[in-house]
Amino acid sequence: MLRALFVVVAAILAGASALVLTSGGALTGAADVRAELMVTPVTPDLGGGTTRVVEGSQAFTFVAPNSPAERQRVFSFGNRVFNTKWAEYPASVQSFDGLGPTFNRNSCSGCHTFDGRGRPPENVGDPMDTMLVRLSGADGKPDPRYGDQLNDHANLHVTPEGRAIIDYTEVHGTYGDGTPYTLAEPHLRFADLAYGSLDGDLFSARVAPQVIGLGLLEAVPQATLEALADPDDRDGDGISGRVNHLTDHDGNPAAGRFGWKANEPSLREQAAGAALGDIGLTTSLDPRANCPPVQTTCSDAPAQADPELSDSFLDRMVTYLQTLAVPRARPVDDATFQQGLRTFTAMGCAACHMPTMQTAAAPLPELANQTFHPFTDLLLHDMGEGLADHRPDHEATGTEWRTPPLWGLGLVPVTNGHDRLLHDGRARGFAEAILWHGGEAAKAREAFRTAPAADRDALVAFLKSL
Amino acid sequence: MTTRRKTWIGVGLFAIAGTALPVAATLASSSPDVATARHSAGPLALDPTLMLAAGGEEGGEGGGAPVESYLLPNSDPAQYTYDATSEIAAYAAGVHASYAAASDGAKTLATAIAALLDKPTVETLAAARKAWTAARPSYLVTEVYRFYDGPIEAREGEINSWPMNEAFIDYVVGNPDAGIINDPKSEISLVKLILNNQASDESDVTLGWHAIEFLLWGQDLSATGPGDRPVSDFIPGQGNNDRRRTYLKVVTDRLVADIAQVTEAWAPDATNYATTFLALPPREAIGRILNGLAILSGSELMSERMAVGLDSGDQEDEHSCFSDTTHQDFVYDVKGVENVWTGKYPGYTGPGVRDLVAKVDAGLATEIDGLLADTTAKIAKLGDPWDQVLAAAPDTQARKDAEAAVASLGVLADSFKRAGEKLGVLVQIPTGG
Repeated sequence: MLRALFVVVAAILAGASALVLTSGGALTGAADVRAELMVTPVTPDLGGGTTRVVEGSQAFTFVAPNSPAERQRVFSFGNRVFNTKWAEYPASVQSFDGLGPTFNRNSCSGCHTFDGRGRPPENVGDPMDTMLVRLSGADGKPDPRYGDQLNDHANLHVTPEGRAIIDYTEVHGTYGDGTPYTLAEPHLRFADLAYGSLDGDLFSARVAPQVIGLGLLEAVPQATLEALADPDDRDGDGISGRVNHLTDHDGNPAAGRFGWKANEPSLREQAAGAALGDIGLTTSLDPRANCPPVQTTCSDAPAQADPELSDSFLDRMVTYLQTLAVPRARPVDDATFQQGLRTFTAMGCAACHMPTMQTAAAPLPELANQTFHPFTDLLLHDMGEGLADHRPDHEATGTEWRTPPLWGLGLVPVTNGHDRLLHDGRARGFAEAILWHGGEAAKAREAFRTAPAADRDALVAFLKSL
Repeated sequence: MTTRRKTWIGVGLFAIAGTALPVAATLASSSPDVATARHSAGPLALDPTLMLAAGGEEGGEGGGAPVESYLLPNSDPAQYTYDATSEIAAYAAGVHASYAAASDGAKTLATAIAALLDKPTVETLAAARKAWTAARPSYLVTEVYRFYDGPIEAREGEINSWPMNEAFIDYVVGNPDAGIINDPKSEISLVKLILNNQASDESDVTLGWHAIEFLLWGQDLSATGPGDRPVSDFIPGQGNNDRRRTYLKVVTDRLVADIAQVTEAWAPDATNYATTFLALPPREAIGRILNGLAILSGSELMSERMAVGLDSGDQEDEHSCFSDTTHQDFVYDVKGVENVWTGKYPGYTGPGVRDLVAKVDAGLATEIDGLLADTTAKIAKLGDPWDQVLAAAPDTQARKDAEAAVASLGVLADSFKRAGEKLGVLVQIPTGG
């Protein structure tokens, strides 16, 4: 039977898609897709052909080794766009002006430093250098005064919207063996608000995630996501998993894949959205400056008619994001890696953090027909009250989050000098991140919490090796 | 490194090291109140082993001590029996000598700027511009000491940041009231410039060589020449000139202080980064040296400064756009590579990396001699001013020459990677090498 499954997988790899699924596919088909992905061998080459053996602070910054040589120029240019510290309009370098009027940082890499991961401020009240706060009114729509994100910086003569402050209270808990642990529960408040109180609004603090392997995730067929989804938990495993259905920029139905709540369907839309929301750069997708009507210093600021981030620059940055290499996992040896994977699966983590995904057709040949190991199903799951931001986003509810990929997380202490995890960076290391899991993941969390210390350590070691 | 080349600020890493120097002690000369700055530049004598775990509970959940190794993976230590003691020592001495020369260059520039501010005339402005152009090479040859955990990483963002946010500093065409200089409500001080409303970390500050360049030349709005700021901008007592004068003095003093700090971090007979560097296992030190050579050649210069400008279609997409002196930036970046290769530094000569490579592969050393000469010749031949090359049509000779220089830098960088393989150290070039 197993042999037969491998044959099927091989056929899929060869591009002869063995499954044709309608949206929401027949249950058997869905089960087949999941089963086939679950029996695919997992290797330390997490990014398939895009895997590169790299360690150190630059581990997230390389081009995929299977990219053709001609990709290099475009990759480097995209990288440069990603790193550019934008200047206010008008500047001598006309291609790189248009910062603000309000913004969070003046470059993409300001938050995604070394293509890596942001963190909450080290001290209460420090600036949010690598994270931001999303907003909406109580009705779930953007706040009419502030929009959908708090911009804590602004050009000269423009008023910043205000700043967010996180402080923490300690939450105490105990492992099954009696070992105590402490979690840090974040509390968000605001200061220097320029346009009135945010009482009654909904907020969501977000750190910048590492940006590796995104081209592969973008190329996973939507049919796979629909097949993996189980919104009504018809298989009775306690895990639902929903696609965040939304409309893309061209007005076509699409599956959300990117963002903490899977609210962006493609890297192009994700990047354009971040350019406007985080840096204040207009694009052909979002041609209007991010100035709510009440913010007159924002609307009065000098601006140019053309998109500040041109299509040609945006497209090259998207190619860059699509082709960043995934670092190879760094297990002690293969046996340890496989044992860690078994522990991970046995505790129930793999139900959502699916070890294996596959692409078929892709916009770039190096992304096509790849089997890779991101440890995500890209679906929304109810994670319980402990993690909830209560801020809906398209079809995502206030308690749902998209399963984040786990690849590269073990390198963050080296690439970015910290070990903060989860959407708002509240967790200090893997154990705390797991202990925050609730809702559909409560069972898996309990499996971890009540496991012998040796198993817990083995799981954490496995995660660190990714 | 993007790598930055990500912008190679190292903010994230340095900021959590928890070992920041008291800024007041380091910058008292230029601004006593900078001690209040929350985001001081990072520690200069960064020892990776001093890194503290970023939070975490007992049980080793913290970040641990991230230490990068430059050793070639899976290499047999017994395989590398060469002695690199004298070459590594010479490199450290050469780095210090280079930064000392850059420090002197910055001080000479400061003297010329003081003369301009003392008596603003067409002549003193021209002299200040000339001093800026003359001082640049002394700094450019030190850029080959970037791209590892050296002390420059904590300062580079404020020494050589680019692009410049011109409209944050001063008036620009279409916005005569732009900039902190023309906003009497804004305090002009070092603290304000570092902790302004745009810069909550060091990577966003508007300081350094190019800020000074912008103040001396003004915007380059000419298709054929550099910027042309009138000397009347510096006459005391008129308009916002006093604020402009203050800004120029503050950023100049800061540049001098920054480069002096990096110089001190490499000084002999002190406890500083040089101490750390010289105590490294030899192959770890060689890894840093070779990565600096390879990444400057094959990523920073080849890609970030040349290829991307050729590809962006923007005539001013060049580092020294106000003064139109970008060609000299290229020439002296490569000269810095040559200095390390040959061991002939400004004011210091010793065994170079060439001598080390020759110990393990004489043929490769000779080959790199040739590649370096080829790159140097191709860079020298480039159109000057560079913005004319950027403005040139796709198939012109100027463009072909530029592409040839780009290609030669890639080959040169790859040869340093091959040298690393012979010496047992890992060279990772962000452009995929």
